[in-house]
Amino acid sequence: MTNEQSLETPHRISRKSIVIERVKKWLRLTPSYLVLVLWSFFTMFAILWTIASSFKTNRELFTEVWSLPTTISFDNYIKAWTTVKMGKYFFNSLEVVLISLVIILFISAPVAYILSRVRFRGSGVLLLIFTAGIGIPVQLLYIPLFFIMTKLHIINSLYGLGILYIALSIPFTVFILTGFFGSLPRELEEASVIDGCTDFQVYWKIMLPLASPGLITAAIFNFIGLWNEYQVALVFINNPDLRTLPLGLYSLSNAMQYTGDWVGLMAGVVIIMVPTILLYTILSERMISGITMGSVKA
Amino acid sequence: MKVRTRMIVLFLLPAGILYLFFFLVPAAWAFYFSVFDWSGFGEAKVFIGLGNYAELMKDSLFIKSFGNTMRILLIGGIVTFILAFLLTILINVGVRGKKFFRAMIFMPNVIATIALTTLWAFIYNPKFGLLNAILTKLGFVELGKTLWTASDKVFYSMLVALIWIQVGFMVVLLMAGRDKIPFEYYEAAKIEGANAFQMFRKITVPLMWDVITVATVLWSIFALKVFEFPYAFFGIQPPIQIYTVGIYLYIMGFGKRDPIYRLGYATAIGVVLLLAVIVVIVVLQRLMRREVHEY
Repeated sequence: MTNEQSLETPHRISRKSIVIERVKKWLRLTPSYLVLVLWSFFTMFAILWTIASSFKTNRELFTEVWSLPTTISFDNYIKAWTTVKMGKYFFNSLEVVLISLVIILFISAPVAYILSRVRFRGSGVLLLIFTAGIGIPVQLLYIPLFFIMTKLHIINSLYGLGILYIALSIPFTVFILTGFFGSLPRELEEASVIDGCTDFQVYWKIMLPLASPGLITAAIFNFIGLWNEYQVALVFINNPDLRTLPLGLYSLSNAMQYTGDWVGLMAGVVIIMVPTILLYTILSERMISGITMGSVKA
Repeated sequence: MKVRTRMIVLFLLPAGILYLFFFLVPAAWAFYFSVFDWSGFGEAKVFIGLGNYAELMKDSLFIKSFGNTMRILLIGGIVTFILAFLLTILINVGVRGKKFFRAMIFMPNVIATIALTTLWAFIYNPKFGLLNAILTKLGFVELGKTLWTASDKVFYSMLVALIWIQVGFMVVLLMAGRDKIPFEYYEAAKIEGANAFQMFRKITVPLMWDVITVATVLWSIFALKVFEFPYAFFGIQPPIQIYTVGIYLYIMGFGKRDPIYRLGYATAIGVVLLLAVIVVIVVLQRLMRREVHEY
């Protein structure tokens, strides 16, 4: 922890200088608090306002924009969940995201393990190739992928979308996980080999559990990223019944320009926001440490 | 040793195959597709060499999109960096609840783009919007009647919202770099009589240089491929004022309401985008190369 304010020499502290120091400290901290509180307040207000609006009627929203709803009514949610099919989209999303997530971790962790801990000819190049995808704009892949997916008959299907999500998530996941595996002490492996573990057992029973903080971090990142993803889904999903939640919300927001049903849209926004915000509230520290993991060498 | 080799292959294979066929092969194929005139997935491809690229150089909409992307990269990048640095400094002078503020600033990054665009649509709403309401309350009655999504303002309105999101990401990176600097350095500098600006210039920036470099590269990659936020910012059809290269590629490849399917052309845009990423990263690495400070 850095702490820069305790610099005065101890023997000269008088009552007056304590007061002066206090005032000085406050003068120094006030601008900070002012900016930080305002910035945070804006974000918090935006989220809470959206939630409040989702319980109003349209008439109430436009007459009393900034007030709290007078009655708590779940009509908007019931309508969004059933009539506008957000419920269906919710489960489409849940299915694609969760299944992809499990597979991403299951296949990326071994890659990260090998490339961060086993030295062999070309291991460095392989790591470079596996993470190069971070820099490749996803749009470059659209038309070739569309072509491949059409040939494989997995266009316009949640399986196809899942496969894309898995493939597109590999570079970043390998990148994060190599950071975690790389930081584990080498003695552990040596000791377990001496104890008679096979290479595979060392990975499965010793190293993988030790890297679980990394796995959790990678899982949160991928969950949030894929849950919110709509660009790839927009290209590869055309069937309205197969929409993921962001895609459903996108079409709802487009329809809103004709229906004017703002509060219905707000309910949809809350439905998509709540899972990631909840996850973030519980695990924000872990997530933030994950960003800094690969990018900032400890 | 044999067992080792088998394990290496086994561990790399599943991810390797998926990554190869659904990432690397399509990326390589894009270069091939980009030299054809190809007007639909069922249609025949006609080889036209660099024809698509030549056309791009003359396509005013592409040039507009490319310009917008560059404005996001440069103007957006500079503003995001300044704000993020400012917040990082403010958060580090000894306020309570450092982690809380950091978490709040990062928050927009976990919310779906499409939810954020809805929110900003309401902030900018000319009649009921938050922005105009505040301006009117503050006495700027005329300014409070502005249509922020009018065609001459929509780009910067969009950029402000985009910056608000990305600052959070940048703050997290910069704070991590800042926290690594031993606090004795600042103590020593203070005893020597350095002021805050001198300390920032002589200690903070040089010692955070690696983090700043990483953050700049990440920002550039993000800015060049930005699609979702501007695309959804305006509702059904993004106006050309907020076209980015990514959006233009999508529209050329798949169309707006009516399909366009200029597949070869769209792929050529993707290739240009990739080249832009490579050029920017190489240039940045040249520009930002400095000796690494060990501490």
